[in-house]
Amino acid sequence: MIEVLGVTKSYGSNDAVKDISFSVKQGEILGFLGPNGAGKTTTMKMITCYMPPTLGSITVDGLDVVNDSMAVRKKIGYLPESTPLYDEMGVRDYLNFIADVRKINGDSRKRAFDRVIHVCGLSQVIHKDIHELSKGFRQRVGFAQAILHDPEILILDEPTTGLDPNQIIEIRNLIRQLGESKTVIFSTHIMQEVQATSDRVLIIDQGIIAAQGTAEELKASIAGQMHLELVLRNADKSEFIAIVNDLATVELDDIKLQKNGDLDVSLNINAGTDFREQMFDLAVSKQWKILESSPSSFTLEDVFRKLTN
Amino acid sequence: MSEILAIYRKEMKTYFNSPIAFIVISSFLVITNWLFFDYGDYPFFAINIADIRGIFDYGAIVLLFIAPAVSMRLISEEKHQDTLELLVTMPITDMHIIIGKYLSTLVIFGIILAGTLVAPISISFVGDLDMGIVISSYIGFFFLGATYLAMGLAASSFTRNQIVAYIMGIMIIAVFFLMNGMANGSGFMATLFENLSIRFHYQNFFRGVLDSRDLLYFFSLILVSLLISSTALSSRKFR
Repeated sequence: MIEVLGVTKSYGSNDAVKDISFSVKQGEILGFLGPNGAGKTTTMKMITCYMPPTLGSITVDGLDVVNDSMAVRKKIGYLPESTPLYDEMGVRDYLNFIADVRKINGDSRKRAFDRVIHVCGLSQVIHKDIHELSKGFRQRVGFAQAILHDPEILILDEPTTGLDPNQIIEIRNLIRQLGESKTVIFSTHIMQEVQATSDRVLIIDQGIIAAQGTAEELKASIAGQMHLELVLRNADKSEFIAIVNDLATVELDDIKLQKNGDLDVSLNINAGTDFREQMFDLAVSKQWKILESSPSSFTLEDVFRKLTN
Repeated sequence: MSEILAIYRKEMKTYFNSPIAFIVISSFLVITNWLFFDYGDYPFFAINIADIRGIFDYGAIVLLFIAPAVSMRLISEEKHQDTLELLVTMPITDMHIIIGKYLSTLVIFGIILAGTLVAPISISFVGDLDMGIVISSYIGFFFLGATYLAMGLAASSFTRNQIVAYIMGIMIIAVFFLMNGMANGSGFMATLFENLSIRFHYQNFFRGVLDSRDLLYFFSLILVSLLISSTALSSRKFR
């Protein structure tokens, strides 16, 4: 449905995105994950025909975003970051304006209004002015604008930013509901959001794609890897470092000497090994005392942090 | 075409949902009529001649301050609210956005023009007005306002701040209006500046003659201003 091929966007000598390629299949929900300034918004602006790529090509349903810009725009519903709305307009006036521009007239306008008022839950605010609305309702009006022409593709730039936890869940449900019939790309820097809503995740950092796949695939890429936090008494820091550096299956993440002489250790353990037994034997032979030992498995959040730091 | 009307209708709603339209229309009419009937060395009632040229002389100056106030918000406010980003990703060209917005300012100006008709109509009952001159003057005044508004729109398309757009609009219009005062004599530069100035071409309409050169001059200024505005919108693509 959407093909991004070797796309670079430069601002002067600065590359906001560098040679990125990915595709989105029809009916797929793609989560765009990345820290602020990673190039998520830039990529979305190119897909929505706001600005053309400097290099490479983007096609939407086989149509080029530069050469067939008007046809592409008709297929896309776009909710930009921060949900821009005309504060001085009423909600109904605003939706009428969008319908005018999108040429939705007569009966189909009435049906479209009924649909978006129902889907976005706007019935209690439809007669209000936009400047009177709460953040949550503003977001819903933004959604209503994006789906008014029943587009095949929805591009949502950080749709849950600034909402309270209940509103975030509402918007996530809305994305999932819309994603049943539409192709959706949405961006976020919140991990759970991607896990909760998207079929596939694309992690973007400093303008390049750091990883892509389903949330499960990304987790599997570090599957079996474990994290082990230890507190040791009577252990010597340099001796411990020397021993760990000789082990192929263990990677030292962090080591700190506490004021009372105890050693705080954080280890990354490769897949397929259970270092805990080995650690016990090691501690016995060296006469260290293990005060604490807490293993944990990696989350998608760790994947993200690992890839983008 | 329907997209242009969509933009036009939205702008008209905004003008009349807020006090903007009422304030600019009434301030122009009050100030211009006051200047015409009651101000200066030769107020209308003192000279006792059925001539309404004063309306267009004073009107040109008052409009210099009023027209940019009408057009200042058109693009700058869209930039300020970030709504421009959404608007330019709708299936509508940048030029259509500009034309739709420009059209709405012309209608506001049309209401102003209609408001000034009170003077010629009432004077025509008590005196002998030269209707040919009145009509050609009105045509000139329409083109003057249309040019001011297009220039104001261009100023608005370069900033996200309405005040900056307003002041910039006044400056651009003032430079073109007063350009004939920049060089004296009959040299090449003097002729050039004279022919580029709004005042020079505007005055020709008061002789009751419609000269194609004057009309072409105003048309060109309007067209160039609208092209500049549209290019300013499209500049996001070249950055």
